[in-house]
Amino acid sequence: MNNSLLDRRLLLFTGKGGVGKTTIVAALALEAARRGRRPLIVELGHRASMESVFAIDKIGYAPREVGGGVWAMNLDFESALEEYFDEHIPVKRVARTIMRNKTLQKFFHAAPSVAEVAILNKLSALENLREHGRHRWDPIFVDLDATGHAIMLLNLPSVMDGLIGDGPMRRLVDGFSSLLTDPRKTVLSLVTLPLELPAQETVELYEKLAKHHDVELGVLFVNQVPPRPLSTKQAAMLDRLEHRARKYQITTLVDDVAIARRAMRYHANARGQINRLRRDIGLPMVELPTIASRSLDLETVAKVGQQTMTLLDSGREREETLTTVP
Amino acid sequence: MTMSGIDELLMRQRLLVAVGPGGVGKTTVSAAIALRAAELGRRTLVLTIDPAKRLADALGLTGLDDRIREVPTDELRKSGVAVPGRLFAAMFDNAASMDTLMQRVAPDADTRDKVLRNRVYRAMAGTLARSHAYLAMERLHEVMSSGHYELVILDTPPARNALDILDAPSRLATFLEEGVVKWFVRADKGRGLRAKLMQSSGAAALKLFEVVVGKDLAHETIGFFEAFAGMREGFHTRASAIQGLLRAKHTSFVLVSSADATHLVDAEALATGINSRGVAIDVAVFNRSYERLTHADPLQIVTEAGELDVATTVRLLFGDELLRSERETMTELVASLHRVRTEAAANNLRALESVRRLARLLPADALGLIIARLDGDIRDLPGLHALGPYLTAARQIRG
Repeated sequence: MNNSLLDRRLLLFTGKGGVGKTTIVAALALEAARRGRRPLIVELGHRASMESVFAIDKIGYAPREVGGGVWAMNLDFESALEEYFDEHIPVKRVARTIMRNKTLQKFFHAAPSVAEVAILNKLSALENLREHGRHRWDPIFVDLDATGHAIMLLNLPSVMDGLIGDGPMRRLVDGFSSLLTDPRKTVLSLVTLPLELPAQETVELYEKLAKHHDVELGVLFVNQVPPRPLSTKQAAMLDRLEHRARKYQITTLVDDVAIARRAMRYHANARGQINRLRRDIGLPMVELPTIASRSLDLETVAKVGQQTMTLLDSGREREETLTTVP
Repeated sequence: MTMSGIDELLMRQRLLVAVGPGGVGKTTVSAAIALRAAELGRRTLVLTIDPAKRLADALGLTGLDDRIREVPTDELRKSGVAVPGRLFAAMFDNAASMDTLMQRVAPDADTRDKVLRNRVYRAMAGTLARSHAYLAMERLHEVMSSGHYELVILDTPPARNALDILDAPSRLATFLEEGVVKWFVRADKGRGLRAKLMQSSGAAALKLFEVVVGKDLAHETIGFFEAFAGMREGFHTRASAIQGLLRAKHTSFVLVSSADATHLVDAEALATGINSRGVAIDVAVFNRSYERLTHADPLQIVTEAGELDVATTVRLLFGDELLRSERETMTELVASLHRVRTEAAANNLRALESVRRLARLLPADALGLIIARLDGDIRDLPGLHALGPYLTAARQIRG
């Protein structure tokens, strides 16, 4: 990468549920704020994940400051649709009357592609918003719910292509499409775990993205990388210790050996998956120790962000692992 | 939480719906529960969404289609496990299922072709996740009404989407219901949707719709719904039946999670969402949630490491026989072992606390099952069978 991850306008993050996307997004947003930027985190759908990271009770549709100079919002479909009507229907009274009609609300809920268009409209508006000649939000972090969400968003322009003629909608989709495919503006990062299934899915997603989509790919984050339980020298003496512990029938020590062997196996499996991710995915990779939003305070999350960016900016990301997080 | 395992439930119920965040092993747990039911003599079907390759192989789901297949249990029987019941499995196939569904519910060939050729339908069937939940429900309804199975285990798409399982049937049904459709379809036939939309309120609705999605798409969409309108009665009937099925006495919801913080956030949101829809969660399964620290009793969740005098232990075991450098490494090793155990015990305690916190959101008589972290991926029937003791263990988790 010739410029820093944080220099883009739109930072998309995707990965299977539970891989720690939320924490990584929060960490990087905190670091962006520390560097004097004005980051906004956008969560799609009705999620509460950011609320628990920032220990805040309600993150709604209107962006609010959530801590450490970071702002966040929840981009839900109903609010996005309402805003879309407000913008596009000249007579506000008509728009409101129709929006309030329960029957029509249901119609818009069930009709295909309405939700996607409304969400896209909002993301474009957030990107375009300026204040005193500068971008109001810089950069925008989008926490995509799951891998399917990312594909949906990236596919939307081509799905819509055959369906829409000229008009405001065409301009919207085209505009968004050029934003998504501009490598200087948008970058999609992947988050995964060093376990077989998540790693496999990530490799498949990467191949699909690299082959069929024009979006620039950013960084591969590998979360929950276990530390090495025993040094090689120690591990070499395990058999001898186990033999003696059995002889003297010290069962807890026999169990200890079994527990350590298992821990070594987890570690070896994780290293195996990491090697495979390195081999199959041509992206800078950052390994993170076990971090979970619930057990970390904001200061620690911010530190993860700072270390991650220092590592990425140094260009040595492929050799190093973050290890200093408690 | 009660003191009995899942067996009683498996003998009594007709449908178990497994919901939970992604990445917790929901499919594996669903399959293990299904196998347990077959071991109890039940004729069981497990409907899965997206099994990992090896598990799919183990279940005999090698093809990409969604046919129901019997799972061969000979391998298990040979190793002495009695399986008096039978086990069947099937996997969902999205796009194909939607087309199959349309073919089945269309009143005539003309309507069917109109729908299948419609560009809006094609876009929706191929890309939109929201139809997924509805299809799962349709498939469920089909197998439940076939009467071929005594117990059906339904594995669902991850996390928040699981709420769609409860919402999708009624959402589509209300949409197709009189109230909505009357906006678009006139009582006197022949004039149809477009004509209706040109009238007063309808005209405004169409305008609005065109504003949102553009003229072409609006018209294609209306074409889709016109064709669809002919099927609405069938949809409506089935949607009510499915809603009834999900809320029936012989149906239980099984919440599957791990004890990881990230999963628990989703699991809690899910538990709350399910409660608010008037459905009770009868079982909570915490998969891969603790480390086994006593080989004598793998079910025991050890949360304290105890003390260890490292120097004394090394002296006791080896006396004076070690070289000095060996003694140093051995001492380090014993200390490391104790550190690994202490960390594992602390993690177990944290896991147990998380499990208890989630349990507080569940009904008081809900069953809690906690599964240890097992070695390697579960890739065959003996592997699924090995989960049995954890499913049938009685645990008091409401601290």
